[in-house]
Parts: sequence; structure tokens; C-alpha cells
Amino acid sequence: MRYSSQTMGKKIARSALMAATVTVCASMAALPAAAADQELINAAPTAQDWQALAKLPDWSGVWTPVISDQVAQEKSNRPPWKPEIAKQIDHMYAEEHAGRPFPIIDHCFPTGMPSWMLITHNAFEILFTPGRVTILGEGDGNRLRRIYTDGRPHPPDPDPSFHGHSIGHWEGDVLVVDTVALLPQVYLAVNEAVGVPNNGDMHIVERLHVQGPDTLLDDLEITSNKLLSQPWRTTRKYYRQRAQKYDIAEGVCTQGSFTEAVDKNGNATFAPIKFHNGVPVGSESK
Amino acid sequence: MKHASLKGCSLGLMVAAQIGAASPALAHHSFAMYEPTKTLTFKGTVKAFQWTNPHVVVWVLVQPEGGGAAEEWSFETTSPGVLTRAGWTRQSIKAGDRVSVTFSPLRDGSHGGGLNSLTLLDTGQKLVPSFGKEQPGLK
Repeated sequence: MRYSSQTMGKKIARSALMAATVTVCASMAALPAAAADQELINAAPTAQDWQALAKLPDWSGVWTPVISDQVAQEKSNRPPWKPEIAKQIDHMYAEEHAGRPFPIIDHCFPTGMPSWMLITHNAFEILFTPGRVTILGEGDGNRLRRIYTDGRPHPPDPDPSFHGHSIGHWEGDVLVVDTVALLPQVYLAVNEAVGVPNNGDMHIVERLHVQGPDTLLDDLEITSNKLLSQPWRTTRKYYRQRAQKYDIAEGVCTQGSFTEAVDKNGNATFAPIKFHNGVPVGSESK
Repeated sequence: MKHASLKGCSLGLMVAAQIGAASPALAHHSFAMYEPTKTLTFKGTVKAFQWTNPHVVVWVLVQPEGGGAAEEWSFETTSPGVLTRAGWTRQSIKAGDRVSVTFSPLRDGSHGGGLNSLTLLDTGQKLVPSFGKEQPGLK
């Protein structure tokens, strides 16, 4: 079994599943563990599960990052970089100041974690469903984070990803999120031109909570033995918007690499744009 | 050479130190390739208005001062979502519109810039990319 028994959610489903799993496992003993894992299911939520959501704090609306605070914290709360990493960081600052910004966010890859929370300039919204908190962002091909709140642990060997594997639980009105399994190429960045890949062992713990009526705070603790001499603690701030013009817009990053065109049959199509050093410099591909 | 190429196609060219003015938005990547301490203004005709993520681009044909074929310039700004909140729509600018564009030029002298503002010359309407104020409950 990949998950402990209390992670399965529903008691009835759990006992039935356990019995079924034992039977199936007994008859499939020769198969690798992964085959047995496929028997894990996410049980259907009950009416009670949906009602329980009403007891959670109200995090509705669209949250816009406080960019001026990001900039202020970049100056006042530098990560405790290891000396060899600090050299890379200082070089990148020099390059940025010289007008040669390093492309931290490139090729339309997702910004990833923790950059989404640390340096984003784009809005996001937060959805609660039974056993899940989902954060949906604007930009980078409609970025999203899935945070499992059904009590499951991290899988023993999750596939690394841009946003990692996140599990969460509520401590009163505070959502505590634990994220592992980030791709080694994902940056720990302090701005859009300065950061280094985490190289494989980054661990992020966040405490998300609302302060006053409309300010969301994310207290982050980032551990990276490869980059940092000690865990780095920092907080990011987001403001709630309710005006409908703040509703999240679709953001397909790759679309920006194309312009509207018409093909030889008169059909609407996309034509690639010419880029130079990351900047669009020609509206026709020829 | 940046200044040579700019000089060659300027209409109402203006260079002014303008640090800290309404900076172009930083939706997707650093805008440090644009020179924020310089502001230029060109007049031209819109070739295309590219209303896309991560960045909106206004493609403008600029007539060089000394004659010759019009040159294509790209002016990059923030995302459709952010611009919508600043009052723009995908119809705000159309191909063929005569415009005056104020921008921070690319440092390497290529024909492009980070858009600071755009004025539609036929109506006088000025469009400014902006994230707006930083506060909750914006209208």
C-alpha cells in the first residue's frame, strides 16, 4: 500500500478497498508494487464533506500579489546563499544591471514553486473542494497547484514536477502546505533574472492565512541543502479583489510566440514570430 | 549602434531621462533588456495588435526620416488580463491606426521597446499599461 489507511478518506470505502486490495494483492503477488497502487481510489465526497467546506475561512475572490513588497523584501531579506551560490547570484545581478537579464522564466515553462508565490506579478484564485485545495493562476499556460488535504502522505517516490507534490492540513484558519519532488531544474529565484536551479533537494513549507479582511499572507520556509546554509524564511502578501474585471483570464504562454494569420485556404491560423534575445522583433516568420 | 539606428527612423524623436516613470509591466520575464532610463517617442502606423499572453505586442510601421521602406518596430507590454483591468480591450488598437508610442528602447539597438504609453492620434485617446494601485477591493 502506498498510503497509510487513514489517508483513504471514507471509512466504508476504505474497509471495502482494504479487503479488495488484500484479495487482489494475494492473487497478484508476482506483479510489481506499482500495479497494486493502481487500486487506490479517491472516494466520492459525501454531503457531509461538502458541508464541512463551509467551515473553512473565506478565501474567495482573486488575489493580486503585492509587487512593491516583493521588491522591498528582495533587498531586505536575502536568502542565506552558500558562498559558491552567492557568487552566481551576484554575477546574475550584475548581468541584470548591465541590461543582459538571465531568463529565469523561459521557453514558456511554468514558473514553478516557490517562484510562483515569491516573484509572480500575476493574479490567482484558490478553490476548496473535499480533500483538495487548488490554486489557479494567470499566466504561464494557466499555472495551477494541487494541494491534497485528505490526509495522504507524499508518495514514496513521486515524479518530480514544476510545482512538486503538495500535501496540506488546516491548523485553525491556517493552511499548512508541504511541498517536495520539485524538478532539479526549477529555480529558487529572487526576481525574474536572478536565481539558481534547486538541483534536487528543495523542500517548501508554507503557512497560508488571511490577515484582516482582504490580505492573504504566505509564510514560506524553504530548505535547500544544495543552495542555502540554513532554511530561508520569508513572507509574501496578496490583496483580494472582487471586481469582475479581476476574474482570471486564460493565459497560454506559447500563444505569445505566434501572431494571427490566414492560411492559403482562408482559415484562421497562427504564424510564428521572430525573436531575438527573447524579444519579439518580426511579426512574420520569413 | 543604437543611436545611429534610432536617429535614422525617428519622427518626433525624444530622449529624456525618466527613471521611475510608469514602468512597463513584468508579467513574464525581466524587462531589463529595455533601457528604463531612456524614453523615446515615435509616430507610426499600427501593423498589428497582438493581444496575447504572456505579453501583448503592438507592431508599428515607422517611416524612416530619410525615406525608404517603413521599418517594423515591436512594442511589448504586459498581459491581456492586466491590461483589461487598466481599461484596455483587444479592440483598443487596430491595424491601420495612426499612433504615437512612448517607450524604453532595447539596449542593443534592435527595433523594439517596452511600451510606456500609446496615443491614438485620430482620437487623442492615451492608453497606459498599468497594474493599478496596490490595495484590496479595487474597482
